[in-house]
Amino acid sequence: MTIGEHRDGSALTLAPEGRLDTITSPELEKVLKESLDGVSELTLDFGKLDYISSAGLRVLLAAQKTMNRQGSMKIVHVCETIMEIFEVTGFLDILTIE
Amino acid sequence: MKKKTERVRANLSFNIIGAIVLVHVLFGVLVSFLGFASFTEAFKREYETTTYHMADTATTLVNGDHLKAYLAGEETEEYQRSKRNLNLYCKKINVSLVYVIDVDTSDYGSFVSVFNSVNNEVDDSSYTEWELGHKRNTTNDEYRRKYRAIYEQGSVCETVYRLRPGDGAHPHITTMVPVKDSAGEVRAILCIQRPAREIREARRPYLRNIALSTILLALVSSTVAALFIRKQFVAPIQKVSDEATRFAKENTKGEPLGEISKFEEFARLAHSIDTMETDMVSYVENLTTFTADRERIVTELSLAGKIQEASIPNEFPAFPDREEFDIFCTMDPAREVGGDFYNFYFVDDDHLALVIGDVSGKGIPAALFMMVTNILISDRTRMGGNPAEILRFVNEEICAHNEAEMFVTVWLGILELSTGKLVAANAGHEYPAIRHADGAFELLRDKHGFVIGGMEGVTYREYELQLAPGDRIFVYTDGVPEATAPDNTMFGTERMLAALNEVPTGSPEQILKKVRSAVDDFVKGAEQFDDLTMLCLEYKGAKAQEETLMSETNKTELTLAAALENLDTVQSFVAEALERAGCPLRTQMQIEVAVEEIFVNIAQYAYAPETGDVTVFAEVSGDPAVLTLRFSDGGIPYDPLARQDPDIGLPAEERDIGGLGVYMTKQFMDELHYEYRDGRNVLTMKKTL
Repeated sequence: MTIGEHRDGSALTLAPEGRLDTITSPELEKVLKESLDGVSELTLDFGKLDYISSAGLRVLLAAQKTMNRQGSMKIVHVCETIMEIFEVTGFLDILTIE
Repeated sequence: MKKKTERVRANLSFNIIGAIVLVHVLFGVLVSFLGFASFTEAFKREYETTTYHMADTATTLVNGDHLKAYLAGEETEEYQRSKRNLNLYCKKINVSLVYVIDVDTSDYGSFVSVFNSVNNEVDDSSYTEWELGHKRNTTNDEYRRKYRAIYEQGSVCETVYRLRPGDGAHPHITTMVPVKDSAGEVRAILCIQRPAREIREARRPYLRNIALSTILLALVSSTVAALFIRKQFVAPIQKVSDEATRFAKENTKGEPLGEISKFEEFARLAHSIDTMETDMVSYVENLTTFTADRERIVTELSLAGKIQEASIPNEFPAFPDREEFDIFCTMDPAREVGGDFYNFYFVDDDHLALVIGDVSGKGIPAALFMMVTNILISDRTRMGGNPAEILRFVNEEICAHNEAEMFVTVWLGILELSTGKLVAANAGHEYPAIRHADGAFELLRDKHGFVIGGMEGVTYREYELQLAPGDRIFVYTDGVPEATAPDNTMFGTERMLAALNEVPTGSPEQILKKVRSAVDDFVKGAEQFDDLTMLCLEYKGAKAQEETLMSETNKTELTLAAALENLDTVQSFVAEALERAGCPLRTQMQIEVAVEEIFVNIAQYAYAPETGDVTVFAEVSGDPAVLTLRFSDGGIPYDPLARQDPDIGLPAEERDIGGLGVYMTKQFMDELHYEYRDGRNVLTMKKTL
């Protein structure tokens, strides 16, 4: 999968494109692991993300936990279908979505 | 070019010099004539005066009292003395004749001679002396008048000129004075005939001098004028002319002419030429750039036109192996590229989408907008869903990025070929024309939604139409009803329907050609103002293919290794079944989540640490359509549904990801059922589409 990356000081924006499923989630997980050091403001841009499964949710949960310790995390441009998944799984309550 | 310039120069010099010479010559002739005339006049007067004095002096030599006596025959000594004195005098003063005559005063017609002195040496003449009393007749009236003036009117002197005598004599003048007696009575006339040779001799050098000086003056002034004209007029004109010739040949900016003359007119001309050259060179440069730009634009436009044409299906027959329908479309942009479009494609094997659209405006902006809209609609249509849903989605997409505030009208229909059911939605587009099998074409006044790109949040209504075999549907853009004749009347839908109904049973291609020729006849060669696009479909009814379609496409099974790398294969397999059924996007994604969660579970845990296979069964059936999915594997018995649901209310730090996949599956699917049968785990799921 393609993951757009933009860094501005301690603010990091990641924009995964396409599907975040069992196969592709490890890629995002790897990027997060490598780049979260010193980041206090993480933005995930889901504008080009069409699909997410529990594997993707797992990565989001891990990222949220990390960022709770070192700053803040928000998700932007979430499409309707993914929003529904967040809702069904209760992730709406633990994620900051704009 | 060179020859012409020289001719201009020759004309200028020679004409002006010629004119100057002519004027001088004429002036010279006039001056000579006037001078000659006044010279002659003055000379004559002087000649006359001296002759008068000669004659007056001569009268003193004659005794007027005795004249009658002399004539009576008294040749006295006094007469002889007077005669001798007159002869002497005649020689002394160099005249031809001195004579005294007594005129008959009754009619002045004759006279008698008293004295007559002849001097033939003076003028080489051959006069003979008249004797005393010699009588002669007066030769002409002029003499008669003069004699009378002297005798009767007291004239002291009369002169007769014979400058061009006709009788062979030499030119002379004759001056007459009265001879009076002591009482003062006029007794006779004394005449002196003097040669006029001096007048002519004095006039000749005068005439020669004046003619010579005039000619000389004319020559000198002409030469000076010619040199002046050459330097001040011809040379500057030559410079200007040379520069103009050079510029015409080379078209490049030359040395400026600058100050070529002190005369304002020439200076202005030179300045104008300089300015003209500068302007012309920059104009040509601009023109070259402009032309190059234009050529590039023309090339790009023609390429753009080809790309646009290729972006929609334009090969007919489009689906020669499909017997259920026949379709034909045409698109004629008013310019190189257009804002109209049509499109048609299979959504799945049984559903054919028909699209026609018209973007506001024309040319390149409309063409770009058209491309975007066309692609959005076709992509979205292939993802499944109903026309109203599709148009709504496309509207939102367009509105989100509609910088140019353009809009597009669209009619979208999806025809189920197996049944003839047509579901359509109209976003502000022209009414379609429908012909049911045995009737005529009529406008279908369908419910219009708002144009696409006009406003966010607009919803569209769709309607259903049942097509029977032989029915035809005709959709078009406003280029058809709004085609305008030279008298500004529009083609209109009435004429369009009339044209359609001329060939109600024709093939779609024949029908479109008929409408097109009707429009062409109507506008009578007026320039096409708007893009003109038409689509016509004839429904021929479901064929035998239908059954195989049903059995082949909607019910399938797939067996493959239970490994993560096969996830995509399983997803495409299920997606294929859903696509044929026309599943909405949202539902499709929920199903994808369920498929992934269940398949990944099996792949990771069922055979661990060994490997095995999994069979996936997918079927869409019933009305409303219901998807049945079944996964079966030969791994260790395990009921995923038995697992306790995770607590989704916990904060992030306390949350665990375990069990979330199955939980989502339960949430998204309508029915779930697990059983262990024949040594296999069988999980069955159902979902209404």
